[in-house]
Amino acid sequence: MDLDALLGCVTSSSCLVTQTTSGLIVGMLLFMVAAGLTLIFGVLKIVNFAHGTFYMLGAYIAYSAFMFTGSYVLGVLAGGLGMAIFGVIFERVLISRVYGANVLMQLLICYAVVLICDDLVKIVWGPDFYAMGMPPAFQVPPLFIAGGVVPPFYIMLIVVALAIGGALSLLLGLTRIGKIIRAAAHNPNMVSALGINTTLLYSLVFAVGGMLAGLAGGLAAPVRSLTPGMGFSILIESFIVTVIGGMGSIGGALIAAVVLGLIRSFGTIGFPLFTEGLMYIAMIIILVFKPSGLFGKEIV
Amino acid sequence: MLQITNLTKRFGGVAATNDVTLTFAANTLTAIIGPNGAGKSTFFNLISGALKPDSGSIVFKGEDITRLDRAAIVQRGIGRAFQVASFFPSMTVAENLQAAIAAHRGQWADLTHRFPRQGVRERAMEVAEMLGLQDSADVLSANLSHGDQKLLDIALALALEPSLLLLDEPTAGMGPDERWKMIEKVQRLWRTQNLTLVFIEHDMDIVFGIASSIRVLCYGRVLAEGTPDEIRANPAVIEAYLGTPDAEDDV
Amino acid sequence: MGRIFRDIAIGILAIAVLAAVPHLIPGKAFQDFVIRCSSMALFATSLNLLVGYTGLSSFGHGLFFGLGTYSFALLMQRTGISLPMAFIATLLINAVTAVAVGAICIRLRLIYFAFVTLAMQMLMHSIIISWVGLTGGDQGLQGGIPRRVVAGIDLGNQYNLYIFAAVVLVIGLLIMRHIVNTSFGTSLRMIRDNEARASFLGIVVWRVKLTVFVLSAVFASVGGIVMSLFVSGAYPELINWPISGDAIFAIVMGGVGSFLGPTVGTMILLLLNDVVTRQTEYYGLALGIIILAFALGLRRGLLDFITERLGGRPAGGIS
Ligand SMILES: Nc1ncnc2c1ncn2[C@@H]1O[C@H](COP(=O)(O)OP(=O)(O)OP(=O)(O)O)[C@@H](O)[C@H]1O
Ligand SMILES: [Mg+2]
Repeated sequence: MDLDALLGCVTSSSCLVTQTTSGLIVGMLLFMVAAGLTLIFGVLKIVNFAHGTFYMLGAYIAYSAFMFTGSYVLGVLAGGLGMAIFGVIFERVLISRVYGANVLMQLLICYAVVLICDDLVKIVWGPDFYAMGMPPAFQVPPLFIAGGVVPPFYIMLIVVALAIGGALSLLLGLTRIGKIIRAAAHNPNMVSALGINTTLLYSLVFAVGGMLAGLAGGLAAPVRSLTPGMGFSILIESFIVTVIGGMGSIGGALIAAVVLGLIRSFGTIGFPLFTEGLMYIAMIIILVFKPSGLFGKEIV
Repeated sequence: MLQITNLTKRFGGVAATNDVTLTFAANTLTAIIGPNGAGKSTFFNLISGALKPDSGSIVFKGEDITRLDRAAIVQRGIGRAFQVASFFPSMTVAENLQAAIAAHRGQWADLTHRFPRQGVRERAMEVAEMLGLQDSADVLSANLSHGDQKLLDIALALALEPSLLLLDEPTAGMGPDERWKMIEKVQRLWRTQNLTLVFIEHDMDIVFGIASSIRVLCYGRVLAEGTPDEIRANPAVIEAYLGTPDAEDDV
Repeated sequence: MGRIFRDIAIGILAIAVLAAVPHLIPGKAFQDFVIRCSSMALFATSLNLLVGYTGLSSFGHGLFFGLGTYSFALLMQRTGISLPMAFIATLLINAVTAVAVGAICIRLRLIYFAFVTLAMQMLMHSIIISWVGLTGGDQGLQGGIPRRVVAGIDLGNQYNLYIFAAVVLVIGLLIMRHIVNTSFGTSLRMIRDNEARASFLGIVVWRVKLTVFVLSAVFASVGGIVMSLFVSGAYPELINWPISGDAIFAIVMGGVGSFLGPTVGTMILLLLNDVVTRQTEYYGLALGIIILAFALGLRRGLLDFITERLGGRPAGGIS
C-alpha cells in the first residue's frame, strides 16, 4: 500500500490527467465488452462466459487484417464483423441447445469454447505475445493536457467507444428492433406471444454482443499485448461491471465500467498488489446494499 | 379466531389491500370472492407473512402476528395452499408429505437422524388418505395430474395440523366435475379436521353451495360480508360483481 | 439404520482395496492420482451440497479449498501445534470465515449469488497475493510442512499419505452422505425445489442455507488440507478461480443428482488431465471438445445419465 504515492498523484495535475485518461480507456474497453454481456443476459437470460474470447478473437483478427491491408480502420471493422458472425454461429450451434438449462451447464459449454479458442489461437497465431504497435496515423507526438501525457489514440478510443455506446442506445431506444429487444428483456413471453421470431432475435442479440466485443478487441489491439488467454481478465472485469451496473442495464454498465477503470488506474498507484482486490470489494459492497446492482431490476 | 383491522398493502400506486377490516370466527367455512385483481391472493399473502402490510394489524387467537415471519406464523397454526399448486417436484407424493411433517415436527435442522424419522412415514400416509392421495404415494409429484397437484398442495398444508387453513382457489384450472369433487373433499376436511377454513373461489355455484359465510373484495376493499343469502341480496355486490358476468366463470 | 452400516462397510472395503493396490501396481503415479483425487473429490462433493442439493450455484467455493491449504500450511509452519490440532483449527477457521461470507452471500439470488461468491474468492486471492510477508505472495508458501509424524505414522511417506488421503476421503464422503440423508438434507432439497413452499411449511430458509454453506466450506477445507500435505505448502493457484472451475466441471460432468457424481467427475477430470497432457500440447482443445461432447451428448452428468438409464431417479438434480 502506498497512500503517499496516491496522494501525490491526485494532487499533481499531470499525474491526475494521465491516470484519468488511462483509466478511461480501460473503462471504455470494459464498457464495450460488458454492454454486449449485459445485453445478452437481459434478453436471453444467458450468462455468456465466452464473451472474453470474443474480445480476444476480435483483437487477433484486427491484428491480422491490419497486417494484411495496412489499414487500421479495416482491421477494427474486420474484428467487429468477424465476431458478429462468430457470435451468431456460437449461439445457433451451441448456446441454443442449453436455453433454460442450469447456469452451470451454460458455464461448462462456454468454458469449453474458451479452452478451444485459446488453443486455436495458439495454433493459428502461435503462443507468443504480439504487439501490434500504434497504427501509422497515430504515430504522432502525444498531447500535453495540464501537464499530463495523453496519446491521441486514447482520445480517439474514448470518442469511438462513446459513439458506439450512443449508437447502441439510439438503436435500442428509437428503432423498432430496439424496442423489440427491450421488450424481450422485460418480458420474454410477451415477445413470442406477439409472433416475433425469437430465433432471429436471439441470433441478432448475439451478433450485436459479439460485434461490440470484437470492436473492443480491435480498439485494444494497439494498446494491449495480444496473448492467448487475454480474454479472461477482461471477462472477469466485465462481469464485475455488469453485476455492479445491474445485469441487463447498459447505462449501468457504462457507469460501472468507468468507475472500475478509474479504480484500476489509480489503484495501481496506491495499492499496486491489491488493485484487483479493490474491484472485488467494490462489487461486494454494491451487492450487499443493492442486491441486483445499481440499475438492475429487483429479482423477487 | 382471526381479526384483521385496517389492513393496507400498496404496490407502487395500487392499493392491493385497502383498509380491510374482517373477522373470521372459529370453525367456520368462509369463501372470499371478488373479480380478478381484487386483492384476494394479496390478502392471503399478508395473513401468511409472505408480504408485510403497510399498516393495519392481524390478530390470530388473541395474538398480534402482523410482524411475525413466515415460519413463526406457520407455528401458530396457519397453513396455506396456493393458487398455482406449490410443492416439491423432485420428490414423490409420500416424500413431499414426509418432508412437510418433518418440518412441522421441528426436525428440519436435524443433522443426526436419518430422514424420515419414526412415525413420519405413517403420519404421511394418514394425511395422504385424508385427500385420497394414498394410491399415488409413490408417484413423482411432478408427474401428477393437475388436480392431484392441487390436492398435494393442500395436503402439505394439512401436514402442519393447522387450525386455520387458507386455500387460494382450490379449484383453479379444473373442469366442472373435477371442481365439485375437489370442493367436496375440502368440505369434508373442514367437517372432520376441526378447522377454520377460508377459501378463494370464482365459481358462484360452489361458493353459494358450500360456504357458510362470504366476504366480497373489490379493488382491495371489502365490498360486502354476510351469509350467502345476504350476499345474494346485496345491491352493491349485484352491481359490482354478479351483475357483470365474470369472465372467469366461463373458463 | 441398516443403510448407514452398508455405507460404512462399502467405505471400509474401498479403503482395504486401495491399501492393497500399490502392492500390485508399483510406481508413484497411481498413489499420486488417488491423493489428488481424494482432495478434489472432497472439494467437489462439498460444492455439490450447495449446487446439487440446495440449488445454490457457487462459483467461488475454491475460497474454502484454498483457505484450507493456506491455513493448514501456515499453522504447521508458524505455530508449534501438532498436525491433528492444525487440522481441527483449519476447519474452525474455515467455519468462521464461512459464517461471515455466507451471511453476505446467501441473501443474493441465482446468478448474483454465483458472482458474489466468486468475488469473495478472488478477494481472498488478492489478499493472499498482496500479503507477501505472511503468504509468500505469488511465490506461494514454500518451506514444506513440518511435524508430519502422527501417532508414529509419517505422512511425509508417499504410501502413508496415500492411505491417509483415502481414509479422509471415505470418512468425509460418509459424513456428507449422512448429512444429505437426514431431515436437514431433506430441507436442502425442499429449498432447491421450492424455496417459498419450504418457508410456508415452517422452515427458516436462511438458517438452512447458512448451515449448509458452512458445512460445505468445512469439507472443502478438508480437501485443501490433503492438497497442502501433497504439495507441501500452499500456492495461489490453489485459491484462484480455475480451482472453482475444476470443481464445477467435476460435478456437472459426474452428475449433480448423484451423491458420487462429483467423485466420478473428479476422476474423469484428473484422468483427462493426465492422459491428454501426455498426448498433446493442446490440452485445452482436446478437453474442450470432450466437454462439448459430454455436455451436448448426455446433457447431464455421467452418473445421472447411468441412473436414469437404469430406470432410477437421481436423488438430487436441478429443476
Ligand atoms: N408482488 C406484487 N407486486 C406488484 N403488484 C402486485 C403484486 N402482487 C399483486 N399485485 C397487484 O395487486 C393487485 C391484486 O392482486 P391479487 O393477486 O391479490 O388479486 P386476486 O384477487 O388474487 O386476483 P386473481 O383472481 O386473478 O387471482 C393486482 O393489481 C396485482 O397486479
Ligand atoms: Mg389470486
